[in-house]
Amino acid sequence: MRRGKINLVVIGHKDHGKSTLIGRLLYDSNVIPEQKLQEIRDELEKSGKKEFEFAFLLDSLEEERKGGLTIDIMQTPFKTKKGSYTIIDCPGHREFIKKMLTGASQADSAVLVVSAKEGIEDQTKQHVFLIKTLGITQLIVAINKIDEVNYDEKRFTEVSVELEKVLNALGFGPVPVIPVSAFYGDNVVQKSEKMDWYDGLTLVETLDKFINPSVPPENKPLRGCVQDVYELEKKRLIICKIETGTLEYGKKVVFCPSGEEGLLRKIEMFGKEMRKTGPGHSIGLIVDGIKEVERGEVLSYPTSPCGQVQSFVAELILFLGVKIEKGDVFTIRCGTAEKKCNVQSILEKIDPVNLALQEKYPRVLEEGEVGKVRFTALEPICMEKYSEIPQLGRFVVEGKKGTAAAGIVLEVQFLERPKNDSLRR
Amino acid sequence: MSSYLRELEKKSIAIVREAKAQFTNLAVLWSTGKDSTTSLWLCKKAFFGKIPFPVIHIDTGCKFPQIYEFRDRLAKEWDMNLIVAKNEEALQRGVSPKRDRFECCTLLKTEALKNLIEREKFDALILSIRRDEHGIRAKERYYSPRNSEFQWDYKNQPAEMWDLYVKPSEDYSHMRVHPILHWTELNVWQYVMQEKLPINPLYFAKNGKRYRSLGCQPCTVPIPSKAETIEAIVRELKTSKTPERAGRAQDKEKAYMMQKLRSLGYM
Repeated sequence: MRRGKINLVVIGHKDHGKSTLIGRLLYDSNVIPEQKLQEIRDELEKSGKKEFEFAFLLDSLEEERKGGLTIDIMQTPFKTKKGSYTIIDCPGHREFIKKMLTGASQADSAVLVVSAKEGIEDQTKQHVFLIKTLGITQLIVAINKIDEVNYDEKRFTEVSVELEKVLNALGFGPVPVIPVSAFYGDNVVQKSEKMDWYDGLTLVETLDKFINPSVPPENKPLRGCVQDVYELEKKRLIICKIETGTLEYGKKVVFCPSGEEGLLRKIEMFGKEMRKTGPGHSIGLIVDGIKEVERGEVLSYPTSPCGQVQSFVAELILFLGVKIEKGDVFTIRCGTAEKKCNVQSILEKIDPVNLALQEKYPRVLEEGEVGKVRFTALEPICMEKYSEIPQLGRFVVEGKKGTAAAGIVLEVQFLERPKNDSLRR
Repeated sequence: MSSYLRELEKKSIAIVREAKAQFTNLAVLWSTGKDSTTSLWLCKKAFFGKIPFPVIHIDTGCKFPQIYEFRDRLAKEWDMNLIVAKNEEALQRGVSPKRDRFECCTLLKTEALKNLIEREKFDALILSIRRDEHGIRAKERYYSPRNSEFQWDYKNQPAEMWDLYVKPSEDYSHMRVHPILHWTELNVWQYVMQEKLPINPLYFAKNGKRYRSLGCQPCTVPIPSKAETIEAIVRELKTSKTPERAGRAQDKEKAYMMQKLRSLGYM
């Protein structure tokens, strides 16, 4: 049986060869239309280049091709004998972190590309730190440009050992490490004959063996986000997207933070009714015995309701053009809820390059920085710890131009409810 | 339905519902092609049978007769609120691909849409572009803002984390919403087949040729094909090594023409 689809993000420092590696992977897998290859050959010829640019298979912008750098993410489907992947190529430049995170937030696994020549550099560490923060634990390392160090085993071992220290410090277990040359195609799809000291798997074989698709979170407590309420002919449907758990009709459900409780009479899709459904599904609900429910509320079973938070501590990654200070008020988007929260205190500033605590209780977090922040909810909002229910334990800070920061909830303090409330007994 | 198609559909329906909830004046673009017809069907499903916002067709005046026929038939059948956008002024001036293809696409498509958006005050548009169609479309987000000049700042796009689609509070004229961005051409045809969607007859082979991507008559050429049914198209695509937009002139006229067109607001 074929495995489910895997989303794979390729990360690493700039110029270590991420796009070239993916380009080589696609090229050797024979999936690129001849016409596209010819277009690239023509373009290279015009600019006087003799060698084929594998990165051009990913980098499609004029600025990317002429500047030799990836500016924005690119997603491309890719199939092996055993697996079906979507590969996400990311820019490696420091100023493009928000784009790297956009790509990484869609992934369930990662390939880290490290140049054998340059070794570990700033964004090597920063990217690994960030994917770990996002909860990605499936990682493969490709030590690239092995041709540029004469296929030298000693240099490969040197970089691998140094890298292992970084990965261990971040809590990664043993990670497969493969020596590759994206440029010449060694150990990418085809086994290299230039490294008799390496008898391990190629990159593609490693992907198929070690990377697994993520499992839909059906066995977690039920959580659904209310997207909307539709008034249709003679009926009112609560539109809800199930995030975790299984929703079954005929059961008692509760919406939080309003606390509205009722009996789930129908689960509706266009033209059909369902008895039960699970993660990812946006469905219409008819619930008996409730008054007003609005967008942003969370659906759960009364036996394990979603809690309204008073305050929470989050690891926060700030994008460019944003800074935060104690006392600032932001709109936070978690699930479908958009509510105002206040920065109660900035607990720590973390240096994502040296992976260390940089400052305790800093006055301010600047753009591009990472920190631990305690927020107070100024409006009713339900959240969870990321480690328990990731779908409701992650959020973004809304800025004037869209997403300004991304957060991972580390700790939550739930609101004490009045004693006569049936909810959190 | 195959479980993979069901996953694609789930995500798309959730996105369409997000857009409806977040924006006040939403519309969907429909070329009558396979992709936007799929999106219309997803909208129908998302809103339990009737699309609750306008459906926009950009008419360049030089579409195939089959496009107009198909459009008018389905608009009636699906009870759409159809709005046709046409840049009459440019057409009267004689703008055509013979003079300048870039100018023609920009005036007859982008400008026509821009004028309509300004008139109707749409704050979000659902478009049916897909990542696998073209390198420049692969760089898109599900929510992609256009600035007050209608332009796409592709070099400095906002972050889009997980499935938390955020509406900026300022400095944008409208949001482009892309619910089938993650689908491939093959997925669309498999879906069309399974959902038994009505489809424009231009896609089916006649005398050894069929249209694989529909555009304006002067700038679209058919590809050699024997696929006379949807099933045959699905089979053909499983082995085809020709790019989908091989028959679309604006993609190849000059290097990066699509990039330049799109940065100005082209679809």
